Amino acid sequence: MVYFRGRVLGLAAVMALALGAPPSRAAEPAPGVADAEVKLPASPTAWYAAKPVGAAVGPVTAAQLAKGADKTHWLTYGGDYRNLRHSPVAGLTPATVKRLHVAWSAPTGTTGQFEGSPVVYGGVMYVTTSYNRLLALDARTGEILWRYDVKLPDDLRLCCGPANRGVAIGGDLVVMATLDARLMAFDRKTGKLAWNVALADYKEGYSGTAAPLIVGKLVYTGIAGGEFGALGFIDAYDLETGKRVWRQKTVPGAGEPGVETWAGESWKSGGSPTWTTGAYDRETNTLFWTVGNPSPDWNGDKRAGDNLYSDSVLALDPLTGKLKWHFQFTPHDVWDYDGNTQLFLVDTVLDGKPAKVIAQPDRNGYFYLLDRVTGRFLRATQYVEQLTWAKGIDAKGRPIVDPAAMPQDNPSARVCPSNLGGMNGSWTGAYDPATGLVYAPSIEACQQYAKGIAVYVKGIPFMGGAPNTVDANAGKAYGLVSAIDVRTGKVKWRYRDPRPMMAGVVSTAGGVLFTSNQEGQALALDQATGKRLWSFRMGGGGRGQPIVYELDGKPYVAIPSGGWAGLDSFAGAASNLPEGGQLFVFSLD
Amino acid sequence: MRRTLSLLGVAGLIAAATAVAVSRAEPPAAPAAAPPAVSPPGSTESGDPVPRLLQSPDDVARGKALFTGTCAAYCHRPSQPEPAGAAADAPFLFGCDWRRGGSNAQLFSTISHGVPGTRMVPFGGAIPDEDIWRIVAYLKAASQCKPQASAGKVAALPARG
Repeated sequence: MVYFRGRVLGLAAVMALALGAPPSRAAEPAPGVADAEVKLPASPTAWYAAKPVGAAVGPVTAAQLAKGADKTHWLTYGGDYRNLRHSPVAGLTPATVKRLHVAWSAPTGTTGQFEGSPVVYGGVMYVTTSYNRLLALDARTGEILWRYDVKLPDDLRLCCGPANRGVAIGGDLVVMATLDARLMAFDRKTGKLAWNVALADYKEGYSGTAAPLIVGKLVYTGIAGGEFGALGFIDAYDLETGKRVWRQKTVPGAGEPGVETWAGESWKSGGSPTWTTGAYDRETNTLFWTVGNPSPDWNGDKRAGDNLYSDSVLALDPLTGKLKWHFQFTPHDVWDYDGNTQLFLVDTVLDGKPAKVIAQPDRNGYFYLLDRVTGRFLRATQYVEQLTWAKGIDAKGRPIVDPAAMPQDNPSARVCPSNLGGMNGSWTGAYDPATGLVYAPSIEACQQYAKGIAVYVKGIPFMGGAPNTVDANAGKAYGLVSAIDVRTGKVKWRYRDPRPMMAGVVSTAGGVLFTSNQEGQALALDQATGKRLWSFRMGGGGRGQPIVYELDGKPYVAIPSGGWAGLDSFAGAASNLPEGGQLFVFSLD
Repeated sequence: MRRTLSLLGVAGLIAAATAVAVSRAEPPAAPAAAPPAVSPPGSTESGDPVPRLLQSPDDVARGKALFTGTCAAYCHRPSQPEPAGAAADAPFLFGCDWRRGGSNAQLFSTISHGVPGTRMVPFGGAIPDEDIWRIVAYLKAASQCKPQASAGKVAALPARG
């Protein structure tokens, strides 16, 4: 067996050092020890499949991607281009779900939040871990088929943990974004690297965490970096070659329309990242992508104005990246209310008329409906239990901000939602067309927003303030899964959990919703009532995106386990759960 | 902005130091100077002072604002009381129990050079030295260390859950 002594161990040593040992000793080997050590071969970072895997099926076609999740395949992060995360598997019902048991399980070997959504194609599951390990596993048994560990530098610029949320699959390639801001494509059958391109310079504060999106011959990705003032963009790359086809910036430059919404030259460090996965509407041939917070996060003094296109949804031409329209959820955000939560492209009925809408449970606590053809604001309703930063949303969709909720030098006001939401872009919701309900997991943890001094230098945190986590400190934080009726905006039911709900969900045709919680449990909820039907103690905090698939007539539910105290406890999650990722796959006999 | 650099984080520091500072929310402090060699009266640790001129109430207030604006969010939690469940890789800094050394010079060094392999990037060259000393002054002022700080802490398991 290969003796693994790559950078993961090196990092572990550094972390151990950070936990206790004085600094000067760790950097130097103990005298004499290094010389005496037997020289070992360099550790492998890739294990390719000996025989092509998933070879019984051909390349993933555009038609398959357009169709989205069927029973045997889960092809995209959002389940389909409309991001519904709804599986047609019907065998998991309130009656049968109690018989779920572990079919197999697989470790990630890394710490950090395990946020990935697996993809399943041709009986092979592709799952990414924190620190960009990509594993191909037999979706029936969990046997490892190939593995690629990305070699990462040790000076990454990560605001919020070493997360990765999964791959995109198309043709014979699986594509992953990396923490050092690269986009890498792999042969799905062997694990061999097909191409590897830089999205941006990670030393300027950029990182890639989201699953890319493949439509036709192009692969789309956004970028993270809004806590460093790094300017956001959405990129399209040729799937076959990795060559960039277009880039759409999220902050206008000098002389461009919208730059007037940034005082002075504040646009130059305006952040506005694109760190989640977009959606695609086939009917109007429109790519939708969302944008995060303006920088600095909590001090808006030097960036007076609406700060376009922060906290917005952009409707783009998928072939050129040209902006068709935009809608901004939180103009001049000073709370870190990224507009990056999941977009659901839903066909529904409003006031008796058919309507093509975008539904979004935004991080700011409101559930928005937009006309997805024109971008017109239709409605916003509160979906969290506690919301104080605004007194409502006006007829044009603009929030009526409570001045008392603005960050202050010595804040005393308790403001809700927390800076992480509400819902957050790092986990998913689901929409069941049969019930017309959006299922949105969220945090209930109010904060005080403190304002501080922001100094902009590339690659250095540029946040300008900090939330005081008063509810989390007092043990008052809790979590919800809210079932929101798209037709009315009303909450039909809420599932309440003792800790914030910070993991994704998947709904199923059998009427059962799957997720996980901060107690380390896998959960099954009744989609009609929110009643808890089943649980299993996985151990690690739930931060991942579950999926459902069926092989040989047998349903499977895959749920990642493993949180990251650095961020999760910020919202009020328990800090006593050890870290470490583990994928659990449940089935019925 | 020129400083003598440790090998640790040298690449990142060069990148940071050569990057263009596009905007500042506050006027920059005077150019950095070498740490003063004279220990100010009242220093709790001999030989590694916070410069005397950087411990005034205004300096400590600026240190607090810099800490709040740069260090506190997502990483080091704000000051007392210690919140439950602080980040494992970004320690709570107001308990007089600094992992990488608690002398003023050690705190200055850790902030300047960062901690490779963690989210702690090198701030030396990015934040002027005077301001790093002000952050150190604030950490010490807000921590109110007693002479015999406890060596470790035991967290109670939460009652709920």
